[in-house]
Amino acid sequence: MIEQIIFYVFATILVVAGAMVVTAKSPIRSALFLVLAFFATAALWILLESEFLALILVLVYVGAVMTLFLFVVMMLNLDRIALREGFVRYLPFGLIVIALIVAFMLMVIGPRQFGLAHYANPANHPANYSNIRELGLVLYTQYAYPFILAGALLLVAIIAAISLTFRGPRDSKTQKPNKQILVKRADRIRIVKMPSEKKQ
Amino acid sequence: MLTNYVPILVFIIVGIGVGLGLFTLGSLISPKKPDAAKLAPYECGFDAFEDARIPFDVRFYLVAILFIIFDLETAFLFPWAVVLHKIGWFGFFVMMAFLSLLIVGFIYEWKKGALEWE
Repeated sequence: MIEQIIFYVFATILVVAGAMVVTAKSPIRSALFLVLAFFATAALWILLESEFLALILVLVYVGAVMTLFLFVVMMLNLDRIALREGFVRYLPFGLIVIALIVAFMLMVIGPRQFGLAHYANPANHPANYSNIRELGLVLYTQYAYPFILAGALLLVAIIAAISLTFRGPRDSKTQKPNKQILVKRADRIRIVKMPSEKKQ
Repeated sequence: MLTNYVPILVFIIVGIGVGLGLFTLGSLISPKKPDAAKLAPYECGFDAFEDARIPFDVRFYLVAILFIIFDLETAFLFPWAVVLHKIGWFGFFVMMAFLSLLIVGFIYEWKKGALEWE
């Protein structure tokens, strides 16, 4: 009963925050509502007893991805009025996309395929149940190949990010301490023998 | 398992309560005498010269995205560390393969100079 109340509270927060992400006037506000949506999702995942995923959602998405979103918003120099302009023009296209997504979602997780009639209510785990342990036991054994593929994907992401945004090193003058220390006397001064000149 | 999270729920409720409560108290109790000059945006007493948001260097973005990638890498390390004694050498070498892929990326970005900052 209490669980259901908590679920509905966080689900309401999630839906409202999601709607505000789309309708908020300032892009910064949209990003902050997305943070709220992530927090509500994390709470829902904890209700599903997948605590590790919930905490990773907060750590990675709220901590890192949202920072990236804010950077993007700051970098793009968005013009708010220009953003509003295309609204009516793109509205039919948007409605079609929404209708398609809703139709697909109903087909996949509609009442005919999904729900308590098809999947039994999972039993509550005891207090010492560890989601991380269960995840680790399958992730590095049964799903080892997809896991290594994820690593390869991250490698591609590193290289792609560098090649897309990196503009080459700046030619700034910096000290190189190791070279300064390793310098020898002979590198810096040269003693030249020459006959002393007579005073004229 | 969910009972372990009751203190966090209480914490969230108290946090939201204190936050909202202080805001409502502030808006109820504080005197409000707005006028046109008071409500106008200004910077240091002048009218605002430009938008507060100025576009900045793309290198911040590069650092942030590299941070996310290695953040994800450490996220994968946590369950691995918890179950390492159960998954044996196979799990160990799976993680080493994963890490070696990312180390290749790390060496690449290091040598390329993407981490240099002036």
